[in-house]
Amino acid sequence: MFNLTPTVVSREQVTPVHVRLRLSAPEIALAALPGQFLHLRVSAACDPLLRRPFSIMLTEPATGLIDLLVQVVGRGSEAVAAAMPGQSFDIIGPLGHGFPLAPSGSQVFLVAGGVGVAPLIGLAEALAEAPGEREIFSLFGARTESLLCCWLELAERCVEFTAVTEDGSIGETGLVSEALARRLQAPFPGKRVIYACGPMPMLTAIAAIGREADVETYVSLERWMGCGVGACLGCVVPAAAPSVERYLRVCKDGPVFPATALDWEAMPR
Amino acid sequence: MSAVDLSVELCGLGLKNPVMVASGIFGYGTEYADLVDVSSLGALVTKAVTLEPREGNPPPRLCETPAAMLNAIGLQNPGVEVFVTEKLPALRDFGVPIIVNVAGATLEDYVAVARRLAETEGLAALELNVSCPNVKAGGLHCGVSPDLTAELVATVKAACPLPLITKLSPNVTDIASIARAAVEAGSDALSLINTLLGMAIDVERQAPVLANVTGGLSGPAIRPVAVRMVWEVARAVPVPIIGMGGIMTARDALEFLLAGATAVAIGTANFVNPDTAAEVLKGLEDYCRRHEVARLSDLIGAAHQY
Ligand SMILES: Cc1cc2nc3c(=O)[nH]c(=O)nc-3n(C[C@H](O)[C@H](O)[C@H](O)COP(=O)(O)OP(=O)(O)OC[C@H]3O[C@@H](n4cnc5c(N)ncnc54)[C@H](O)[C@@H]3O)c2cc1C
Ligand SMILES: Cc1cc2nc3c(=O)[nH]c(=O)nc-3n(C[C@H](O)[C@H](O)[C@H](O)COP(=O)(O)O)c2cc1C
Ligand code: FES
Repeated sequence: MFNLTPTVVSREQVTPVHVRLRLSAPEIALAALPGQFLHLRVSAACDPLLRRPFSIMLTEPATGLIDLLVQVVGRGSEAVAAAMPGQSFDIIGPLGHGFPLAPSGSQVFLVAGGVGVAPLIGLAEALAEAPGEREIFSLFGARTESLLCCWLELAERCVEFTAVTEDGSIGETGLVSEALARRLQAPFPGKRVIYACGPMPMLTAIAAIGREADVETYVSLERWMGCGVGACLGCVVPAAAPSVERYLRVCKDGPVFPATALDWEAMPR
Repeated sequence: MSAVDLSVELCGLGLKNPVMVASGIFGYGTEYADLVDVSSLGALVTKAVTLEPREGNPPPRLCETPAAMLNAIGLQNPGVEVFVTEKLPALRDFGVPIIVNVAGATLEDYVAVARRLAETEGLAALELNVSCPNVKAGGLHCGVSPDLTAELVATVKAACPLPLITKLSPNVTDIASIARAAVEAGSDALSLINTLLGMAIDVERQAPVLANVTGGLSGPAIRPVAVRMVWEVARAVPVPIIGMGGIMTARDALEFLLAGATAVAIGTANFVNPDTAAEVLKGLEDYCRRHEVARLSDLIGAAHQY
């Protein structure tokens, strides 16, 4: 874990509300695992006050570069997305537990909702580079075609890519969880693993689908954070019985959890 | 000018410097160890410890408000026994004075925790959290009543020989009267302020943001309230005060010292900048040099001579 002030080396407006930032952060590029995140200070003043968490999308240890994908939803993300090359950010990271890599021979499903695609792109890269063979399928859901940010980055790292839009503007129509359920109907003799990141209702649906299909499922959660390092207990989610602790910290115990470790009934939206 | 003397005397604890971290911010010390030189702190106050383990409030537990945040963590902690056997050894290794924040639902709870801590080595002091909902007081917290505060302080003082610091709630009409009651009952020092009761509503969902409905407000927005309360309490009682509430910089810390605080605690600012305590300390030293103050403790309460 480091507290650094890396500089932005490039900025790309991917969609009207998504910006891809490339930062020079060699320590992070070397240390980060897919699914880990950075806690970014978004203002030098007192308002907005708290840091904001952002996933590490991709790392390039050889050049020391890392990529973030930022969706503008409020003042904090707006400030991050407005960063220009040369500007630097105060970051803490890499934080949390990332995705465990599926063993060789397994069939993998990467399921992204909106900006939740970010950590899954890094995961696709890590799975592709890991020793052995894996069959990687990806499904990317968004409200409409223009919000499928960086979809090519995901598609090019997988054997099959499926776009799913709620308005049917491209790909399959409906919810990405429904598309996943359809994929899982095809039998597969080996091990299957689902990795999902997106809004809570999507993750809840996918946890249920994974449970029903008896497929190992990992979800990456988003919660408001205070410290980001496990100290304040502000970011907790309910743990499934028979965990010793009633609550788990998204920042420290997660953000990636086995879906079976969580109490989805008591999950806040 | 020769080196500035940053040490302060706080109810028998000679602190090497007056900058501590506040309760609930630093966990049990280890979480920040990668980022912060914990051993350079004046003292460390733990998250509240209760007799039995507490699971805390359901989430969402925090949200941001203008220049502040609301939290409703709800005293989540593993209980005093696990604290002593599993958390304390690592904390002690930092070599800084450890102040344990004690909370409870009944007088008996507080006493049992105080007794357990009394027989534990390596603790500097207890900080009595009087802002917890109290069963006997019908859910009201003791901190709103001078009589209940006095009863709690006297009982805990009798149960544990460690220096006792009473942490005052700002959610009262007359904080000076509570401070007087605590000191008359034997409190060796006071710390203030705890969080201000607040609330936020999600207008899209038309519902409270926090699952607990209300939460405690902290951060720079509460600083003027905290400074005013330290000022009032410093005039009312002779014991040392640990001032806190929205301290982000050395300048902010100086407000508290000048208002009468002997030490300061950094809370929410740690989330924003884990290095705040070190930067505040450095800033205090620079200030003393600039103002040719040989001992930082000479600044305590200086603004009362205006
Ligand atoms: C581990 C983790 C990884 C993340 N990775 C990314 C990423 O790669 N790219 C990205 O664009 N975003 C990511 N997020 C979400 C991002 O942190 C929030 O969008 C951001 O904090 C919003 O701040 P703001 O000031 O712009 O919005 P605010 O003004 O604070 O809020 C705007 C809206 O967003 C909601 N919101 C704010 N913060 C959160 C949060 N942390 N979780 C859920 N809802 C929230 C609020 O309810 C509000 O409706 C991640 C969150 C977590 C916890
Ligand atoms: C997340 C969080 C948890 C806290 N937990 C405790 C606690 O367990 N006991 C206590 O006495 N005060 C607790 N506090 C209050 C702080 O110690 C401090 O009094 C208050 O936050 C004001 O200081 P600040 O504005 O610098 O944060 C907590 C505050 C926060 C933000
Ligand atoms: S944000 Fe503080 S414990 Fe997770």
